[in-house]
Amino acid sequence: MCGILAVFGCIDNSQAKRSRIIELSRRLRHRGPDWSGLHCHGDCYLAHQRLAIVDPTSGDQPLYNEDKTVVVTVNGEIYNHKALREKLKNHQFRTGSDCEVIAHLYEEYGEDFVDMLDGMFSFVLLDTRDKSFIAARDAIGITPLYIGWGLDGSVWFASEMKALSDECERFMSFLPGHIYSSKQGGLRRWYNPPWYSEQIPSTPYDPLVLRAAFEKAVKKRLMTDVPFGVLLSGGLDSSLVASVASRYLADSEAACQWGSQLHTFCIGLKGSPDLRAGREVADYLGTRHHEFHFTVQEGIDALEEVIYHIETYDVTTIRASTPMFLMSRKIKSLGVKMVISGEGSDEIFGGYLYFHKAPNKEEFHEETCRKIKALHLYDCLRANKSTSAWGVEARVPFLDKEFLDIAMSIDPEWKMVKPELGRIEKWVLRNAFDDEEKPYLPKHILYRQKEQFSDGVGYSWIDGLKDHANQEVTDAMLANASFVYPENTPTTKEAYYYRAIFEKFFPKNAARSTVPGGPSIACSTAKAVEWDASWSKNLDPSGRAALGVHADAYEGAADSKNAGLTNGSSSKLQEIPVEKTATVG
Amino acid sequence: MCGILAVLGCSDDSQAKRVRVLELSRRLRHRGPDWSRIYQHGDFFLAHERLAVIDPASGDQPLFNEDQSIVVTVNGEIYNHEELRKRLPNHKFRTGSDCDVVAHLYEEYGESFVDMLDGMFSLVLLDTRDNSFIVARDAIGITSLYIGWGLDGSIWISSELKGLNDDCEHFECFPPGHLYSSKEGVLRRWYNPPWFSEAVPSTPYDPLLLRRALENAVIKRLMTDVPFGVLLSGGLDSSLVAAITARHLGGTKAARQWGAQLHSFCVGLEGSPDLKAAREVAAYLGTVHHEFHFTVQDGIDAIEDVIYHIETYDVTTIRASTPMFLMSRKIKSLGVKMVISGEGSDEVFGGYLYFHKAPNKEEFHRETCRKIKALHQYDCLRANKATSAWGLEARVPFLDKEFINVAMAIDPEWKMIKPEQGRIEKWVLRRAFDDEERPYLPKHILYRQKEQFSDGVGYSWIDGLKEHAAQNVTDRMMQNAAHIFPHNTPTSKEAYYYRMIFERLFPQNSARLTVPGGASVACSTAKAIEWDASWSGNLDPSGRAALGVHLSAYGQQHVPSVSAGMEPQEIIRDDIPRMMEAGAHGLAIPS
Repeated sequence: MCGILAVFGCIDNSQAKRSRIIELSRRLRHRGPDWSGLHCHGDCYLAHQRLAIVDPTSGDQPLYNEDKTVVVTVNGEIYNHKALREKLKNHQFRTGSDCEVIAHLYEEYGEDFVDMLDGMFSFVLLDTRDKSFIAARDAIGITPLYIGWGLDGSVWFASEMKALSDECERFMSFLPGHIYSSKQGGLRRWYNPPWYSEQIPSTPYDPLVLRAAFEKAVKKRLMTDVPFGVLLSGGLDSSLVASVASRYLADSEAACQWGSQLHTFCIGLKGSPDLRAGREVADYLGTRHHEFHFTVQEGIDALEEVIYHIETYDVTTIRASTPMFLMSRKIKSLGVKMVISGEGSDEIFGGYLYFHKAPNKEEFHEETCRKIKALHLYDCLRANKSTSAWGVEARVPFLDKEFLDIAMSIDPEWKMVKPELGRIEKWVLRNAFDDEEKPYLPKHILYRQKEQFSDGVGYSWIDGLKDHANQEVTDAMLANASFVYPENTPTTKEAYYYRAIFEKFFPKNAARSTVPGGPSIACSTAKAVEWDASWSKNLDPSGRAALGVHADAYEGAADSKNAGLTNGSSSKLQEIPVEKTATVG
Repeated sequence: MCGILAVLGCSDDSQAKRVRVLELSRRLRHRGPDWSRIYQHGDFFLAHERLAVIDPASGDQPLFNEDQSIVVTVNGEIYNHEELRKRLPNHKFRTGSDCDVVAHLYEEYGESFVDMLDGMFSLVLLDTRDNSFIVARDAIGITSLYIGWGLDGSIWISSELKGLNDDCEHFECFPPGHLYSSKEGVLRRWYNPPWFSEAVPSTPYDPLLLRRALENAVIKRLMTDVPFGVLLSGGLDSSLVAAITARHLGGTKAARQWGAQLHSFCVGLEGSPDLKAAREVAAYLGTVHHEFHFTVQDGIDAIEDVIYHIETYDVTTIRASTPMFLMSRKIKSLGVKMVISGEGSDEVFGGYLYFHKAPNKEEFHRETCRKIKALHQYDCLRANKATSAWGLEARVPFLDKEFINVAMAIDPEWKMIKPEQGRIEKWVLRRAFDDEERPYLPKHILYRQKEQFSDGVGYSWIDGLKEHAAQNVTDRMMQNAAHIFPHNTPTSKEAYYYRMIFERLFPQNSARLTVPGGASVACSTAKAIEWDASWSGNLDPSGRAALGVHLSAYGQQHVPSVSAGMEPQEIIRDDIPRMMEAGAHGLAIPS
């Protein structure tokens, strides 16, 4: 990842303004520790903090077209940049950077080129010929972007809120899949996939099509000139990513440079379910596995920083971000700059346990659509910012545009959880990789059920957080919560605690409004709370409440079988020596 | 490098205080990006930001003795840790970290162990049995350290000023070679080498002895578990460091892990003398050479950041720190965590051009002593903080304790510049490495004269800085300078510009006092200005004033070559592939 900051039309081209922009850009330096660049054109500034992944030696930004009239600053990866270069035969490229195509595409196609980009990106482009500019964000919002307005008439764009929150009178999340054009003076959506309308699709489920689409999505993401790895919690999604990555690594360019053994990473409290499951999968795949342990105290000590980086007060996001944040630091210290991660699968396939209660396929499908549209506020935000805090880039193959189109065109009847047919959540995905001849994963892993959210890193993590919050937040404080925080009022001491930290870093109203709120059960949208009457009375944002639902709903074979598998193999697994050394190579 | 922060006896063991210490420790995060830890014992806090160079997997700090009653947080490298471990056979070590010995040595030897450490270090040790603590800094002050006092009776220790300046009523540089013991409540000097008294030594010059001492100093510093390289400006000092490293790398553990080919790094404006000189040396030594180019604008844009990191308003230090700061970022982005660098040689051997005017060997020697004692405020501060800003560690073999003892025992008569005998500055060092059979460096490089300070990165660098300052500082501002800045009043617009930035970042009076001032010509101490009557009239802190002295003092015929930029053209091989193009980025983690 990189960090971008752009300011247009601030009626001030003084040295003081330049220094201020540089200072603000430094707040994004964690995203791009490798180099910085600033392009100043009158009262327009484009600043960039670079994490060098593709073409580290010459791809410093901002990037330009041939005659330098078009300037672009990009955070992201354009996986099809080579194919796009082919289409631009009459253009001269100055660097090997994947992002350089943007300036040339704009010259060739005007503002309509955005949909041609395959990847994750946030960028700002300045056309110095008429001082017009555009800004755009990838389809799902894998990369973060904020837009703000200054009292001086300026428009601001920044990868993270912290770079513009002090300068703008108002700011908000830049909507994913949108483009802002100064000529047209507003935001419009460039991303228009069939699923966006939330109509119920009817394509029959074809496991091999789904498998091929996912494999292609992972392969694309092996494009790198630097060492990389896979985040492996041992759950279905990360295990599939690791399995596919290790299968295709040998043929990739990356393997020529960095070796064909895949590095995998897992974090947890000592003895946690994720550590055990991650190790099991790593052993099966033969990856070079790195395990990191953290203590509840270390997690608590990191909370302020996590909230500063992640820029949210959403409880489940903070719980899940903290271990990821700590792990990213360790990963970076090994010299690894990029990781592939499993975010998005639960949204696409309805993997959260509350989906068990979906009343019909229509409701099921609409909820998956709502979840995907909200990803940029939750898991994308977490995955991007927890890793970027340490200059690590996270790539998410489940959110590949083509893969999404295929996965979201499947008749949702197939995605419904049907214990009587042996279909647990995400069955369509599991079944797609159930290859008897060349197994991707052992069956018991392929059909293993989800560890509930942050419980995977260790059962005492959430309890530890709650205990800590209980010590710091008094009953009187919570009693006044609705007066102190009328918007998105925290309903628990834990939420209050996070909120107080957030408000300290980001005191403006606009900042508060960038964070979603409303009732939720086990990460559901507010709409899905209606699925079960009992839920609205017990709004635990974690999965535990729904877990009760789950276990009660079907005292099925699936659960006890799974429990048996994990418990039964535990003692054996702990004896297997694990690669914990910090050297990669 | 790492970052350490200790708050000792602050009468507050609350969560709020813990959070505050964590927040302050984060200000040192750049020094140790790899991991952090905080240790709390009542109202004693020891925080550590770690750069993992030795034993990355398990050496997280703070470190403890066996029963965890003694806690240590260290920034540094203890080169003789393996030998020290052998002296502690009845101790159990928990990690492979070189700093693990400290707690155990204290158990065994009490406070007197500090002199046993060979390396660079700043450390805080807390004995929880009686809540006593000690603080120590290495002999020369290669690692940075500050001490402060809070109104609540607390003592604060921090690797950088920014870790404590907002919370202390008063703070100072922790003097190098000193130890603070809470039991005695005073600072005392533990470092007592023969040269410290400034008495003039009389040992005859032995080139091989000096050579061996520097070789040993370099070899010690090859101890690492992570990728490393050398900073190579192409001048004498860095070239010698590179030559010795390249020669001895083969047998080391580092070479087995990271390959036996040495990486070297150089920064400059395009076409600068340093780039050319370094390329020549790199080609001769066969290193994997990386060249980084910056523009004057890049440098100017970085100035605020540089001053924030380096914590000084000293003009020459800022000028020289900026390119080093920019280069360090690029080096780090290649996955390199440690570099060996040539600082200290000019001080030990009197390498600055103003030494040409030393009236006699006594004055010469005393000036070298004064210069070494002040290193922690100048070149050590620069080398440590410019690299640490990006999580890069700089090691400086010329400041090895044993090497200094050898070099400072030489009768200074030998160090004197004597053009009539063909002895240019640092002749004793050059001569020591003038090996006809197995040359360390080609002769013309070995006897090449110094590029004056920051001119080496490109002649327009300093001019660009001055111009920029002139645009931002008005004449009227200068007229009021003495009233606004009564202490260390800036005498040039450039100095005023830096000072403004410094004051904004570090507004406390104590901060201002940590920066040295006073008259100087070409980096001399104030005392040495007396050597030439004309100098006091022309106090240019850079080397340019002395260069005039240099050229006029002895006719050209006595000077083997005038400057690094002017060596015979035919020797420069311009076809050497530049690393920017050669794709040397693969060094980070070889598969």
